[in-house]
Amino acid sequence: MIRLAAALLLSTSLAFPALAQTRGGTLVFGRAIESQFLDPVHTSQNADIWLSLNLYDTLLLASADGKGVEPGLASAYKVSDDGKTITFTMRAGLKFSDGSPIELSDVKWSLDRARTKASGGDFAFLLGSIESVDTAGADQVILHMAHPDPVILQALATFNSGIMPEKLVMAAPGATLDDKSKAFADHPVGSGPFMLTSWKRNTEMVMSKNPYYWKDGKDGKKLPYLDAIRFVIIPDDATRILKLRAGELDVAEFVPYSRVAELKADPKLDMELYPAAQTNYFAFNARPTLKDGTKNPLSDVRVRQALNYATDKDALIQVVTYGTGTAARSYMPMSTPLSYGPQPLYPYDIAKAKALLKDAGYANGMDITCMVLAGSQDDAAKLATLQQLWSQVGVRLKIEQLENATRLSRYNAGDFQMRTSLWTNDINDPNEITSIFAYYATRQNNRSGWDDKRIDELFDQSQAELDPAKRAAEYKEIQERYAEAAPIIFAFEVPYPVALSKKVHDFVQIPLGNNIFVNTYLDK
Amino acid sequence: MYVLAILGRRLGQIVATVVLVALLIFGLMRLLPGDPALMLLGDRATDASIAQMHHDLGLDRSVAVQFWEFLVHTVTLQLGDSITMRVPVISLVRDGLPITLLLTGMAAFLALLIAVPLAFVSALRPGSWMDAAIRTVAQISLSMPVFYIGLVLLIVLAAGLHWFPVGGIGNGFFQDLYYLFLPALTLALSLSAVLLRNLRQSLLEVLNAEYVNFATAKGLPRRMILTRHVLRNAWVSTVTLLGLNIGSLVGGAVITETVFAIPGLGRLTIDSIFARDYPVVQGLTMVLAIMVSVVFLLVDTVQVLLDPRMSK
Repeated sequence: MIRLAAALLLSTSLAFPALAQTRGGTLVFGRAIESQFLDPVHTSQNADIWLSLNLYDTLLLASADGKGVEPGLASAYKVSDDGKTITFTMRAGLKFSDGSPIELSDVKWSLDRARTKASGGDFAFLLGSIESVDTAGADQVILHMAHPDPVILQALATFNSGIMPEKLVMAAPGATLDDKSKAFADHPVGSGPFMLTSWKRNTEMVMSKNPYYWKDGKDGKKLPYLDAIRFVIIPDDATRILKLRAGELDVAEFVPYSRVAELKADPKLDMELYPAAQTNYFAFNARPTLKDGTKNPLSDVRVRQALNYATDKDALIQVVTYGTGTAARSYMPMSTPLSYGPQPLYPYDIAKAKALLKDAGYANGMDITCMVLAGSQDDAAKLATLQQLWSQVGVRLKIEQLENATRLSRYNAGDFQMRTSLWTNDINDPNEITSIFAYYATRQNNRSGWDDKRIDELFDQSQAELDPAKRAAEYKEIQERYAEAAPIIFAFEVPYPVALSKKVHDFVQIPLGNNIFVNTYLDK
Repeated sequence: MYVLAILGRRLGQIVATVVLVALLIFGLMRLLPGDPALMLLGDRATDASIAQMHHDLGLDRSVAVQFWEFLVHTVTLQLGDSITMRVPVISLVRDGLPITLLLTGMAAFLALLIAVPLAFVSALRPGSWMDAAIRTVAQISLSMPVFYIGLVLLIVLAAGLHWFPVGGIGNGFFQDLYYLFLPALTLALSLSAVLLRNLRQSLLEVLNAEYVNFATAKGLPRRMILTRHVLRNAWVSTVTLLGLNIGSLVGGAVITETVFAIPGLGRLTIDSIFARDYPVVQGLTMVLAIMVSVVFLLVDTVQVLLDPRMSK
């Protein structure tokens, strides 16, 4: 009995420090890439998107598992039965980081700006189903929908729906809204848990605690716990890790996979692999002829399937990600809602690959050229592995090293046969990735030129489908058809590798990539 | 008077060089495959968003119109705004130029500090074990890539011994000197090897010259002979070599700035070329061209001061 009591006492005393969130301190975060522009509507780079939610809060927040939403600036919401009206109740006493109140008109203005094509940038399409935004009473924001949209709640938790101060943006110098937003984004005032206090480009960016943030911490006081975050730009991987180990950084992002095991063994560090909505694949050009006029064997579905069978995903995962990746089960990452993939696609099978190639008239093999990013170690490892694997079915893989701008331009013009690719979701819904990968009108299905009318039809239906079961069925069929047609090599998913000092707690990088610091605290 | 005439002529040449560089870089950037709009939009680019971005960036206008605008801007010294960062190029230059100047200046100074005494030791006892050791070490540092030297210095002196910070930049001039010491040393090592070999050779030639023998025979003190006759004459070619290498020092700064996470112009230039950020590349190339031209001008002036025959 006494022993039990002692054990209980011990376990509670052990558990206790982990519960106590300490307040204060500055977190030093080593970044590989610099932010470029901090307007939530006009960002298109991951480096901008992934920090945006710290500066600009949204009406709703993505839930921790990424599949649903929870209240944000709005404390409650109600969707009408026909799905055409959504009413939000705003929290009382909300303020921007300069202390001025967040008015209903700010919400309306921010959403109107974000959803309008001319002012809303590349992500306006996410809010395209909104017909108008109204306000009522002291705390109601009402969305009138052009048609019911199954994704609208997720879209309202996405970075481009961040709430901005209308008066301050409009008061910024500049003739047009674009110029004003440029000037505003240099010294932004927002609604998120942090505010930008200094920014020396290519050097460092400091975000301090927003003293007016609405959310309560576990200690009953307002969040965030940290006083500030200092983002230091260190492009070189080796230097970033050295700096972390020397204690000059608390966090280093983008640890190369080759060094994950080494950092895991370091007792002073936590080597985290955050699940990512990110997928590695090889994109094919499936047009019958290539830009230079030669015949393209990849237009034959049997060849594309054969190459998928000839690809040993486990070998790729081992060589490229040092075992941290998982084999792909769909074109979309498995953390995407409605993703469907009972097992990894195209298990390694040389005999099947050979049979399919023979059937397609390529028993004697063929030449295929793949564009890769010059200087990328990952790409070099991928291609070396593929070259070896595919040589067993007679495919001679040629490598074309290009720097990124040239590669993108050629890809965009359809002037390629195959390329290495990586995709990261920006919204917790399958619609963004599907519109790019499988819906021809967006950009010829990832520039492949491959086309499936039935998928286009299913996608159009799914965009207005309010019945979750029907929408899931539509997406299941889309993914099955896509897997069968194999316009890509389904390769693998990788996590986000982030190394943190042991004194950092409750930092998270969510599958969409956003770095969330609102609950982060540092041991004193 | 001669010096003034040379200065005048050289200033004219600098203006011509800068204009030529401006034209060349405008043409070269447009000849390069790649599209800034695509770089901004990345893998999410759709046909509609690309067209919109071309319009926003003014890239849907003809090259002739863009070139005219560029010329007008160049003459009026407006460098325009960065496409990716959306800030004036001039503010990027203002932030980065002092750092790059300090880095390359420190590197040149350190290179001389290493090269001159060692060259003397080598040249005064040619063939000795000291001479052999110095020349071997110089050969090794010359053949090692800059990023490798940088990483070794970082691992040993910064991460290992904690004598220096692991990259980055300080707050204020004196802290900057401390932060920039290792990167400057990295750059200085290979340059000092080049200078050392050259200076040693010139010293050997001068030491064997008749006028040195004559000075010795005259009974002049050894120190005076070495500083007034030997070094001054051997200097000329080394100063020329140092000046010529300032260009490559800026090139080396690109790598050093990346390894040491220094926000200088070198790293910015490379990043901007990769991003096809035309205004930044154009602006930076012109600033660097002016910088290198001014260094050449200084070298010429120093040469004339060292050796008045040069002005003829």
